[in-house]
Amino acid sequence: MAGPLRTYAFINAKLRTRISKILPQQFIRQLIRARSLAESVQMLGETDFVSVQKVYERTGDIKTAELELLRKELSVYLELENLVEEDLREFVQALSERFEIENLKNAFRLWFDRRVRGRNIEDARRYLMRRRIHYQIDLEAIIDADTLEQAADGLAATPYTALVRQQAAAVMEAASLFPLELALDRYLYGRLAQAADRLEPRDREIARRLIGVEIDLQNVSWLIRFKNFYSLEAERALGYTLPGGLNLSGELMRQIYGAERTERQISALVGKRYPEIAPLLASEGRGKLSARLTMIERILEQIMTIEVRKIMTGYPFTIGIILAYFILKGSEIRKIMTVLNAKFYEWPEERILTLV
Amino acid sequence: MVLDHDVDAVTKELLRLGLLHFVNITEVDREVSSQVESITPKIAEAGITEIRRRIEGFLAMIQEKPPSGEDLKVEDLKAVDLEETNKVLDNLAASVQTIRDHQSARQQEILRLEDIWRQLQMFGNLSELVEARSQYSYLSVQTGSIRKGLLGSFEQALEDLPNVTMQMGVPEEENQTLLLLITMKRDEGVLDRILDKFGWTDVHLPRELSGKKDQVQQELEQKLKAAKEEQEQLQSQVNTLIRDRFETLQQMWSNLRLNELYTRVQSFFSKTARTVIFSGWLPSDRRSELTTAIRRVTEGHCYLEWHRGREISKEHPASVPVQMHNPKFLSPFQMLVTNYSVPEYGSIDPTPLVAVAYLIMFALMFGDAGHGAVLLLLGTLGSLLYRGGRAGVRNLLQLIAYCGAAAVIAGILFGSYFGMQWFAPVWFDYHGVVAGHAGGGLVTDIYGILVITIYFGIAVIALGLVLNWINCIAKGRWFRLVFDKGGLIGGWIYAAGVYAAMYFVRNDYKQLPDLDLLILLLGIPVLLLTLKPVLEYLLHKPRKPFSLLTPVDFFMEWIVEILEIFSGYLANTLSFMRVAGLGIAHVSLMIAFFSIAEMVSGSSGGYTVGSYLVLVAGNILVILLEGLSAGIQSLRLNYYEFFSKYFSGSGRAYAPVTLRKNTV
Repeated sequence: MAGPLRTYAFINAKLRTRISKILPQQFIRQLIRARSLAESVQMLGETDFVSVQKVYERTGDIKTAELELLRKELSVYLELENLVEEDLREFVQALSERFEIENLKNAFRLWFDRRVRGRNIEDARRYLMRRRIHYQIDLEAIIDADTLEQAADGLAATPYTALVRQQAAAVMEAASLFPLELALDRYLYGRLAQAADRLEPRDREIARRLIGVEIDLQNVSWLIRFKNFYSLEAERALGYTLPGGLNLSGELMRQIYGAERTERQISALVGKRYPEIAPLLASEGRGKLSARLTMIERILEQIMTIEVRKIMTGYPFTIGIILAYFILKGSEIRKIMTVLNAKFYEWPEERILTLV
Repeated sequence: MVLDHDVDAVTKELLRLGLLHFVNITEVDREVSSQVESITPKIAEAGITEIRRRIEGFLAMIQEKPPSGEDLKVEDLKAVDLEETNKVLDNLAASVQTIRDHQSARQQEILRLEDIWRQLQMFGNLSELVEARSQYSYLSVQTGSIRKGLLGSFEQALEDLPNVTMQMGVPEEENQTLLLLITMKRDEGVLDRILDKFGWTDVHLPRELSGKKDQVQQELEQKLKAAKEEQEQLQSQVNTLIRDRFETLQQMWSNLRLNELYTRVQSFFSKTARTVIFSGWLPSDRRSELTTAIRRVTEGHCYLEWHRGREISKEHPASVPVQMHNPKFLSPFQMLVTNYSVPEYGSIDPTPLVAVAYLIMFALMFGDAGHGAVLLLLGTLGSLLYRGGRAGVRNLLQLIAYCGAAAVIAGILFGSYFGMQWFAPVWFDYHGVVAGHAGGGLVTDIYGILVITIYFGIAVIALGLVLNWINCIAKGRWFRLVFDKGGLIGGWIYAAGVYAAMYFVRNDYKQLPDLDLLILLLGIPVLLLTLKPVLEYLLHKPRKPFSLLTPVDFFMEWIVEILEIFSGYLANTLSFMRVAGLGIAHVSLMIAFFSIAEMVSGSSGGYTVGSYLVLVAGNILVILLEGLSAGIQSLRLNYYEFFSKYFSGSGRAYAPVTLRKNTV
């Protein structure tokens, strides 16, 4: 394996330049302050997202513009697959599989809406990303299938066929796609963990940390959903979470989900490792679990920011720079998407600001 | 100081002149701050700026820019009603949004048709769809008839479903229309209700369907084309909508800009019960212009107090703004200087020196007349053809041309023309020295080249030291003049070090100068440096209390200072060897390419087409790679080795509030 300098010198320089061009929070605030959606989109014309502005100008369709944003995010990953050395490519490919899996989930959601809920999905299906990422997937076949087994046939040349077949019965029994979505997410993080295991020790440690924080965020997001929408009991809810988190162990999640007050647990979580987040604890939501979970989500996002900052200021020749770039770029794109959607629905500025 | 009833006229006059770099009165006289208060503008500048940017956004939608600052006239300034202006812009935004909504509706139609197209590509002909009834066909193809009179309403009823409807052949009955209907299988439920409603009758025409796929595709293409054209028309409607208001928008923008700058000027004013006070800097040769103007608009009811920059800069060195006056042809080098920092008021403007040093460094690293001529041509052409407004780009192109010219001169001195010796060198054969066959001449080996660059480096550093002394004397910074790393003692040590090093080299690296001489040259200044920490301690107020550790501190500071001086100067001097390194690399690359060209040459020894291709590609690569390297290294040497000796970049640029700049 090539040394870290040779592996990362070029990519480090390239990505740091790109990171320096990520839109600052001040620009996002200007986007929010724009008095109409058209004016907000127009501002993107002065940035790297000029293609999004052009698409909106041509179609007037915010969802098509959002799709363009997604394509841009995907192209970031695919471009990097071609730029990195052989020993990193598997890991970067595993990272970009999240788009394929997200696309697949969207297709299944449309199938579920059409087949199980009997809804008209005409509008939504037009906005699927139909670009081939790693495997040739017939999204139309999935959406128009009569059963999940039939949909699985359309995934014949992919590793997802078995997953879908395994979960078909559980989905119909639960009358919910959640078992399938969870299985796909477990597959994704399993792939990432496998690919991370094949990295050099230093890179492996960094990859595990960042993926661990992401898993924590995902788990908290689900716990919020379980509590708010499904009112699941703790054991059942925890059974659905992903393993491999960095800060939220199973036991801690159990305590947070079940306890009335969680200062002790969260202090233990944040405590010595991230003292910068201590002020957030002072404003921890008391009472409702969902409010507490939302606060924990914020804490974890801050932890992600801190981890990224550590990478940016630490030893430069590691996989951290690639992961940091993906995280920062993804965050930038999500912020823009949030703002444009909120502008479309004419949300007030203060409300939009709380989301970004 | 003016009377408060003159403040409007004075503000406008100051704006018209655009001369004053405003400062808060409290910066000049702290005691005044308790006796005055700020003027609260009627409208906040931030609010005006926001609306101005809104208008710029609308103009950008039609690829137009706002008026230039040169076109703004203070006489046109009118009071601005932000709410009213926002209302106008909100109406415009709403109209734009309405059109975008129509575009979005067209987009839905396009996506629906593209959906059908995607499905249709899967099959060879339509009969397959009708007859196969495969579970993988997502299209439903039907042929049937309805009453002619119902065709319009039938097509309207189908609008919400993706469909292609085509009239087919001749129906059996006159009042009937025979139709081919393609829809999505998933819409069967909804479709069946529509077909029932319109009395659809199935007609079986499998043979007629063969070969209809092309027609259907054509129909689809036409529909898609029509929808896209409509979308384009709607897009151009947005352009027309804004363009119809172009003049109004420009006028609004101009007035907002005037108001913005007016408010900005007044934000620096302070007031008492009946007067208004303001303060600022301007070039001394424009003083009478400002005096005359203020006296005119106030009819003499004003008080003007003037201070020279030197008076203020002694106490507050960074407070006096700096305007650099260099001839236009030096603007690329001024750009290099201001990229680093703005020189402190009262210090030497390094621009002309940077011009000379930079070009010499570049020439030594890129000494080839042919390559230089290419750069000169590219830079000159670029400067002539560039039509954009960015000064940075224009300066860069000019710099490339200058570097090219310097490289041409160096190439003539070294006898290098695209790596070949078309003419004898005027100075020495650089190429021959690197290749090992210099023959006679002033320089016969690589060490000779290294020595030239070392001498050059010594000259640059010495010049930096002298400039530092001049700056210190001009500003009365006597302590720094003597004890600074770039001060007299530091210079003494450097000169002694250079002498000792030259002596050592001249004696075949075997002997240093006599000990007595070394003590005189190096020992005395080193000892004098012991006074620095002591004097700093004594002069510094408030002083730290003296303790037993204080002499230890003095000693450590002295040691560190000596180490810094010795190692710093040594490193700075040796750094100039990169000039030789890059120059040698330049030649070596050309030698390499010539070798490759020979390898590719024919058996007779003459160059083939391939050889010439290698040489052309090689020259291009060298120009790009070496040109970039030489440019960057020259910059680095200037910034780090030269500027660090004397340049105090703590100045701030002279930035008057003026109509002539488009951004504040």
